[in-house]
Amino acid sequence: MAGMTPLTYEILLALADESRHGYGIIKEIEERSGAGAAPSTGALYLALQRMQTDALIEETAAGPGADARRKYYRLTLKGRDHAEAESVRLAELVVAARRKNLLAGGAS
Amino acid sequence: MTRRLLGALLRLAPRGFREGPGADLLQVHDARAAELTGRDRRFIRLRRLDFGIREAWGLGVLVAGLWIDVWNQRERRGGVMFETLWQDARFAARSLRRNPGFAWTAIAVIAIGIGANAAIFTAANAFFFRPLPFDEPGELVVLYETNPEFGWDDATAAPANMFDWREQVGAFADVSAYSEFTSQLTTFREGEPVLVGGTSVVGNFFTTLGVAPQLGRTFRLEETWEGSDNVVVLSHRLWQEYFGGDPDVVGKTIQMNDASPEIVGVMPAGFHFPSAQTDLWYPRGWAVGAREEVWFRRAHMVRAFARLAPGVDMDEADAQLQVVVRRLQVEYPETNAVMGAGIAPMHDFLVKGVRTQLLVLLGAVGLLLLLACTNVANLMLVRANDRTREVALRRALGAARERVARQMLGESVLIAGIGAAIGLALGWVGLQAIATSEDLGIDGATSLALDHRVVLFTAAVAIASGLLFGAGPVFRTMAGDAESALRDGGRSSTGGRRGLRTVSALVTVEVALALMLVLGAGLMVRTFATLRSVDPGFEPAGLMAVQFGIPPSRYQTRDEVLDFYDRFIASMEARPGIRKVGTVQQLPLSGTSWSSSAKGETWGPDRVAFEVIHRRADADYFETVGTPLIRGRLFETTDGPDDPLVVVINETFAREHFGPDEDPIGERIAYDREPTEESNWYEIVGIVADQHQQTPRHAPRAEVFENRDQDWGRSSWVVIRADGGTDQIMPSVRAVLAEMDPLIPIARTESMTQVWRRSMAREAFLLKLLSVFGAVALLLATVGVYGVTAQAARRRTQEIGIRMALGARGLDVLRLMLRHGLVVIGLGLFFGVMGASLGARALQSLLFGVEATDPATLVAVAGLLGFVAVVACYVPARRATRLDPVSSLRSE
Repeated sequence: MAGMTPLTYEILLALADESRHGYGIIKEIEERSGAGAAPSTGALYLALQRMQTDALIEETAAGPGADARRKYYRLTLKGRDHAEAESVRLAELVVAARRKNLLAGGAS
Repeated sequence: MTRRLLGALLRLAPRGFREGPGADLLQVHDARAAELTGRDRRFIRLRRLDFGIREAWGLGVLVAGLWIDVWNQRERRGGVMFETLWQDARFAARSLRRNPGFAWTAIAVIAIGIGANAAIFTAANAFFFRPLPFDEPGELVVLYETNPEFGWDDATAAPANMFDWREQVGAFADVSAYSEFTSQLTTFREGEPVLVGGTSVVGNFFTTLGVAPQLGRTFRLEETWEGSDNVVVLSHRLWQEYFGGDPDVVGKTIQMNDASPEIVGVMPAGFHFPSAQTDLWYPRGWAVGAREEVWFRRAHMVRAFARLAPGVDMDEADAQLQVVVRRLQVEYPETNAVMGAGIAPMHDFLVKGVRTQLLVLLGAVGLLLLLACTNVANLMLVRANDRTREVALRRALGAARERVARQMLGESVLIAGIGAAIGLALGWVGLQAIATSEDLGIDGATSLALDHRVVLFTAAVAIASGLLFGAGPVFRTMAGDAESALRDGGRSSTGGRRGLRTVSALVTVEVALALMLVLGAGLMVRTFATLRSVDPGFEPAGLMAVQFGIPPSRYQTRDEVLDFYDRFIASMEARPGIRKVGTVQQLPLSGTSWSSSAKGETWGPDRVAFEVIHRRADADYFETVGTPLIRGRLFETTDGPDDPLVVVINETFAREHFGPDEDPIGERIAYDREPTEESNWYEIVGIVADQHQQTPRHAPRAEVFENRDQDWGRSSWVVIRADGGTDQIMPSVRAVLAEMDPLIPIARTESMTQVWRRSMAREAFLLKLLSVFGAVALLLATVGVYGVTAQAARRRTQEIGIRMALGARGLDVLRLMLRHGLVVIGLGLFFGVMGASLGARALQSLLFGVEATDPATLVAVAGLLGFVAVVACYVPARRATRLDPVSSLRSE
């Protein structure tokens, strides 16, 4: 999968540990990247919709103690593969960046 | 607001999404919105606005994205069409970005056109398309009374007739009624007297409308009558404001004037029918025996409405109603001899007053949009001419004809789309500005809203206009054959003879459309000026009117109430700057309170004055407002309650109902068609000048003024004239009131200048809008004329150079250049006049003192437009004469 958008990656990351509903995903992104980084609700749902079409995520039954009226999403196997592949790619980029002294703690 | 907009946008999404994740999305949005409010409250409005805009934008992206996906899926099955569409769109965007001046001009022009349409359509939507908030509103009809003798065609009904219709017409599932007059009721809030608007209704009002309360119950039919009427239903607003949304409010009482009825129910939020001011509903409370009494069939005081029985249509219901009407005519000849009744769909009835106005405005914005499209089409044509070579080249290189056409059309659609988005925002902002000064929407029933209808309408208009202004250039470009365009070095590309002809035709249309719009504005200017010059019969400047809520519990008798007014007037007149104070039952230019027939004592059997208006006043009223006594005298202290009854009439009464040789003064009149033993006789002692009772547009009607000391009534307006403007009046009123009785609330205050202005508000509103439209039209037409002349000049640069080299003078060149522009302008004016005379009839009913085809206005408007157009045409023509012959010959 060439060129994953940052939002797609954020969503995959948010769903990596547990299934969440739309609001939970936004909260997770806000926590990690700051309140300003959260997408608009519309953008989130467009991404969710497209990721479902691409079979990266799927709807799941709400877990125990969760709000039954909400839709919950979890990663598919394919989604997990893609998330891993993208993480590796990003990590390699970071290594490259470090090597070129763009990042503190780089090879000197 | 954002929430409603989001809801409307979401309705545009593909159905699968709307019905599935859509609801989930809105929940998430709500949670985020709530969180926004909950946090830090600094800059809360700004942050809310920012959030709203981002959410709306995001949702827009979502809707577009989902549709693209839907398309893509179809395309995967069907071919590569979408892929190319997407390429086309990107191509269009790129090509527009290369020429931003053109793009933004076109977008701005289209945004103005679409914005005006979106705004007026939103208003029209509130009136015509938004359903009434009742159950099955299509089954509801208004029942009105008619009377040819009185000139009534949609009068309120007498309650006795209403109840007979209810019982005798089988086609009605139920009949009910309400008062069209909102009363001001005194209640107390934290010990302070305050006034709330109340509507009195017949007990089955809510059940007939089919609206359910949010809390408790609504009224029962038997609660209509005195004795069981100590109940009240609150609006949601009042419940929130006065009871803090107390869930146990049902069963409690509310102080209302001097009674404390029990609260039986609370209506849902937003329900204020029949008036936006209505905050509580109370039963009419008629005496139980009223149905047997004559006045119950004579006093036309309630607006009756019915719900049609299932499966019954209007015609059938009307036929059945007429049978009952005829029966009542025979049964009660005294009151019903010529009383008819009619039926109309409730929605139509409620919007009747604004229908013409809105249709005219819709027509005007339609013309404006057409003008905007013509203008952009013109721009596109010029651009298409410039691109003839490009297109020819691409086709020579093998591009499919349709593909090239689609790419060009893509630009139009893109311009229209962006224009529509900006226009929608412009329209909404503009409408909010209008709505602060005007009540838009059916009173208490519907309101302005940016709902899915508005969004769909705007989208449809945008697509239509994009095709309209995009199609012409496409045809032109496609029609040219590739070879000659390439060969001819692009010379014709600056506008061949045919191109100029098309552009000229478009400009002719522009001038014609502009003439129609400017003419509309001109006619409204004339109308407004005429209305302002009508003497309302009083002197508004420096005059203020005040109404008090005098509680009947503490001012029970007539003497107590009159004494209150007398003391108030005396204290007021003693204060500095206050010149004169008087009282009257109803202010001029504010409608009429009650009317009757009247008959003179000496009149023959067939002579009756129908529809005489009544008002109660004191003698000082006339001097205070500046209405002169023409003849006779005003009321005097000798006209006490026990003295013979006297009245003053207005000039219209004297003129219409007395012969030129008769003297009304001294004649005694009774308020009956055929006076009986019980009739009261009033002696006419004076004649005063006319006041306009309704608006300056409505001629004064025959009117009788009763003496306040003899014909007593509780509610009065106090009119106060001050020497130096109205500013000092209200502080004086408050000071005097605080001294006399601080518990009396001021119910209403009006400066009479406001009253006067309001009586012309509709015309002022139309004037404002039509002037803006006219000005925009003028501007667009001017740009068009300038453009076509400049283009013609450009095309003939070489010709001019040759002519000047051969010795032509500047003036000859100027004449040559102007000739083309003048023909275009002349033709445009001619077609405009033709169009205007066709459209004039629609406008006529809104005009006053001027014909829609008024030659003077027409000449003035055509003159103005012609002058501006000639200037617009002169400037480029003049420039052409300054060309240096040598360089113009080289201009290739």
